[in-house]
Order: sequence, then structure tokens, then C-alpha cells
Amino acid sequence: MEIKTDDYRVWTEGSDIFFDGAMRLASSEAGAPITALATSVLASNPASITLNLKDLHFLNSSGINLLAKFTIEVRKHPDVRLVVRGTPDIPWQSKSLPNLKKLHPALVLLMN
Amino acid sequence: MTALFGTPDIAIGMKGSVSRVRLFDGPLDLSWRHCATTSDFIADLFALRFQSSRNDYMEVRHSIGYLVNELIENAVKFRAPGEIVVEASMDSECFKLKVSNDVDGEIASEFQSLLADITVGDPKDLLIQRIEANAANPDVGSSGLGLLTLMSDYGARLAWIFSPADENDRICLETYASIPISPTHN
Repeated sequence: MEIKTDDYRVWTEGSDIFFDGAMRLASSEAGAPITALATSVLASNPASITLNLKDLHFLNSSGINLLAKFTIEVRKHPDVRLVVRGTPDIPWQSKSLPNLKKLHPALVLLMN
Repeated sequence: MTALFGTPDIAIGMKGSVSRVRLFDGPLDLSWRHCATTSDFIADLFALRFQSSRNDYMEVRHSIGYLVNELIENAVKFRAPGEIVVEASMDSECFKLKVSNDVDGEIASEFQSLLADITVGDPKDLLIQRIEANAANPDVGSSGLGLLTLMSDYGARLAWIFSPADENDRICLETYASIPISPTHN
């Protein structure tokens, strides 16, 4: 599955969800296709889901809210492990990704 | 009547040299894409002086870009038809921004009620509480999450001044912001 625009790309490889580019969503509705993609991965009931954000250079607050809402959805499935891969080289990630762990303490946040 | 929300001491006008970008409504047909191009431009301009350190440059450029983008996005989303004026300045300690645009009276009232909720308390706690509330009940809406992210994750201090505009039932909204700029690598 893949969502592709001029500015960003989101795709799945198994239960890994990859994000690439600069995502500036105009509203939560604008993020609906991405939410649908992530929800379909969760619905397949995998042992773990990885959000790979290492190539996502920019994410506005609507996008951060989308990640937060998905984190809360996964939290409702204690048998599904959620891994978030980021990089300290991209400032929004080191500033805002720790919030996801506040929402879901079992989430594994890998910043390297 | 004029109303002020947020940190009063940053809403006292811009001192020193100010760079000003005026986004005209008609010829530009202001759209979402202008938020990105304008904020990237301002971030590039103000981060230039940090070019000697790649880490500082990336950090400053990103923080300014994020702040400007969020506030222009809000202006584009909620403004009444008309221009948006963006003013920016920087000293050795912080980057300051002022975004001015008109809003309809009803939008102004709703925004004031939101600001009353999100400007009292620790923004880090408020952000998590609001994300949880929004996830539990989508009708709550995601308004305010961008502003709380700025305050919580970027150390932004924000203030808003609402005053009567020239046209009936329109309010002039000035949004002030200040973020610390602290070079860490030399």
C-alpha cells in the first residue's frame, strides 16, 4: 500500500509503515488516507508495528496529532508492540516524538 | 474593546529591525502552499547567521520554520478575506514573530474561549490532556494542538491581541510569538 503526493510518501512493508518527505496536512481530514492505511495494518493484528519516520523531514501539528491518535489506537491492543523509529538529526522528531511515549509508555522509541 | 491573552510582556511590539512579509489576498489567491513557502523563506533568512555550525543552523532553521508555519497556517485557515502580515526579528536570545490578520467576530469568540483553556497551566500537561480528549471524542476538534505543541516542545511564549477592525463585525487579530535561540555548538 502506498500514498504518494508531490511532498511526501507513506507506504507499508509488512507491518512496517514508512514515511518520507515533508508532510503539512491542512486538517485531520487531509490525513484520513494515512490513518486508513495505518488502521489497516493494525487490523491485520501483527505482533508489532513499526512507524519509520527517519526520512520524514517535516511534520506539522495536524500530522503529529495523527501519529498521536494512532498511538492511542494501538494502546488499546496490548498484544501489539509499537515501535517508533526516528532520528535526532531531524529537530521536530527529538522535540515531539517523546510525547508519543507519554501517551503509550510501552511504545518503543528508537532515536538513532 | 481590546482583549489580550497569553504572555503580556511579549505583546509590546517589535523592537529593532523588523523584516516584514505581506501576503496579499487577491493576487496570490492565498492557499495552503503559501504557508510552507513563506515559513521556509523566513527560516532560511534568519538561520543564515548560524551557518558556521551545521547543528545550530539545522536547529534554528527548523524551530523558526516550524513556528512561522504553524502561525501562518492558523492565519490562512481562520482569517476573514484579506491580507496576512508577517513581521519577524531576532536578537541574540530569541526570535520574535508577529502575525496580523482579520477574523470574523464569531471565529474570534470561539478562539478566545479556546485560548482561555490552553493558556492556563503547564503546556506539556495540557498538550497530552487535549490529545487524549480529542482521541476520545473527535467532536472536541484538534484546535489548539499546534499552539500547545509550540509552547510545550519549542518553548514558545505566545500572546494574542484582539481589537476592533475597520469593518463591521471583524476583529483584528495580532498573534505574537517568541522562541529562545540558544546556540549550543560552536
